[in-house]
Amino acid sequence: MLFKTKPMWGRQTGLKSSYDVVIIGGGLHSLATAYFLARDYGITDVAVIEKNYIGFGGAGRNTAIVRANQRTSQNVPLYKEALDLWPVLTRELDYNLMFNNCGNLNLMHSEAAMKAARMNIATAQFHGVESHLIDAREAKEMVPALNISEDITFPIHGAMYHPPGGVLRHDAVVWGLARGAARKGVEIHQQTEALGIGTQNGKVTSVTTNRGEIQAKQVLVSAGGYSAALIHGFLGIKLPISVLTIQAMVTQPLKPLLNHVVSSGAYHAYANQTLKGEIATGAHMDPWPNYTTLNTAYYIKHQAEALSEFLPCLRGVRFMRIWGGLADMTPDMAPIMDGNNQIEGFFMDCGWGYFGFKSCSAVGKYMAEFIATNTCPDMLKPFALQRYQEHRLMGETAALVSYSPDN
Amino acid sequence: MALTITCPICGPRNGYEFRYGGEEKGPRPEENNLTPEAWCDYVHLNECVAGVQQEWWFHRDGCGAWFTIFRDTTTNLQTEQPEASQ
Repeated sequence: MLFKTKPMWGRQTGLKSSYDVVIIGGGLHSLATAYFLARDYGITDVAVIEKNYIGFGGAGRNTAIVRANQRTSQNVPLYKEALDLWPVLTRELDYNLMFNNCGNLNLMHSEAAMKAARMNIATAQFHGVESHLIDAREAKEMVPALNISEDITFPIHGAMYHPPGGVLRHDAVVWGLARGAARKGVEIHQQTEALGIGTQNGKVTSVTTNRGEIQAKQVLVSAGGYSAALIHGFLGIKLPISVLTIQAMVTQPLKPLLNHVVSSGAYHAYANQTLKGEIATGAHMDPWPNYTTLNTAYYIKHQAEALSEFLPCLRGVRFMRIWGGLADMTPDMAPIMDGNNQIEGFFMDCGWGYFGFKSCSAVGKYMAEFIATNTCPDMLKPFALQRYQEHRLMGETAALVSYSPDN
Repeated sequence: MALTITCPICGPRNGYEFRYGGEEKGPRPEENNLTPEAWCDYVHLNECVAGVQQEWWFHRDGCGAWFTIFRDTTTNLQTEQPEASQ
């Protein structure tokens, strides 16, 4: 603070004692919701409060992949809208989000996986999302580095090709949305930790922070992996969430060899080449709930083994950096968006697992509508918490063979 | 992220040998007059404590025992008992 007193999004204002809306968490879902509250509804008496700094959590830790080839009819339209919003937001925010719609290639390693892919593709096409099934040879033509031989652990049978997906610079989205929201009058307060939510007669009245109490008519908790603990701690509402660590890493920079996002469910690995030339790659989650973002040699080894099988030209390449983030997993791999249900004026947007980044633009728009109108938009209705009690779990994961925290 | 779990039979072992079995939620609710709320609570809902919690583990790649331990979810270290009762 000695050399830089002005944050990138504009002038820092003092924390007021009252706001119409307080948003807990300074990540992408919060910033996007704040931005759309101001843009679409003129609601600018909004404070986004963040314990660390904006983009500290999942917003800056994901592998920057965006796509709209999810599995169910409730989810696909939401992700499609999110995908369609990136070029719009780039113009509107006047901020280069570096959207590179290079396309996603989901590798399939068995005939059963090819069948499952056919269903995903049919759903995508039904909703106007471009997605095709291609065979191993076509995948090889698209990504010459792929190993389509049959002598690897999981031979490649084909792939689900989703051209409109790609990568986006996640930090730029944080900064662009923060600046865009602040220019419209939203306040962003970093180093401001929420310590409690005050209620009276079943209504939200305030948020207690480490900088004092703030009166608020409406409160949204969209604090990524920390949401479930906050919501239970503040309001005693339990959620069907398990918080797991997910690790990612980048290699040394290489000449261009990968023009698509390549992912594999069987190898539990996904990879894309950044504009700097690094191969950014992520793994599956550590399968026990925790709030650390620590790394394990286990996953470096796992990742090296996986990549050197299906992208053998990466053998011997060094990893430069590794990091971890939190994924708040739900049993059906679909998020929880709810409001005015448990407590009037209380909204939640959580349970995104590892889909928080790709969804943030559209979710911001719909959560803003929900908060501004106090009416749940049709798009968000299927995502209410009540669905677990009614046994209406979404089919985002194909089959719950064994119920575990990392479904 | 090192995780060591103490199996009551095999002693301290690498965490990757085990399968996490969920938060300790008390006994399975009685089937008589079971409400959807109570069942959902037992099956799905978690407290997601950032701190010490009692939880179930299964020694999958070992003796096959099911047991509970106390673990601090912010450090991944096992503790003898919850902080509150110390």
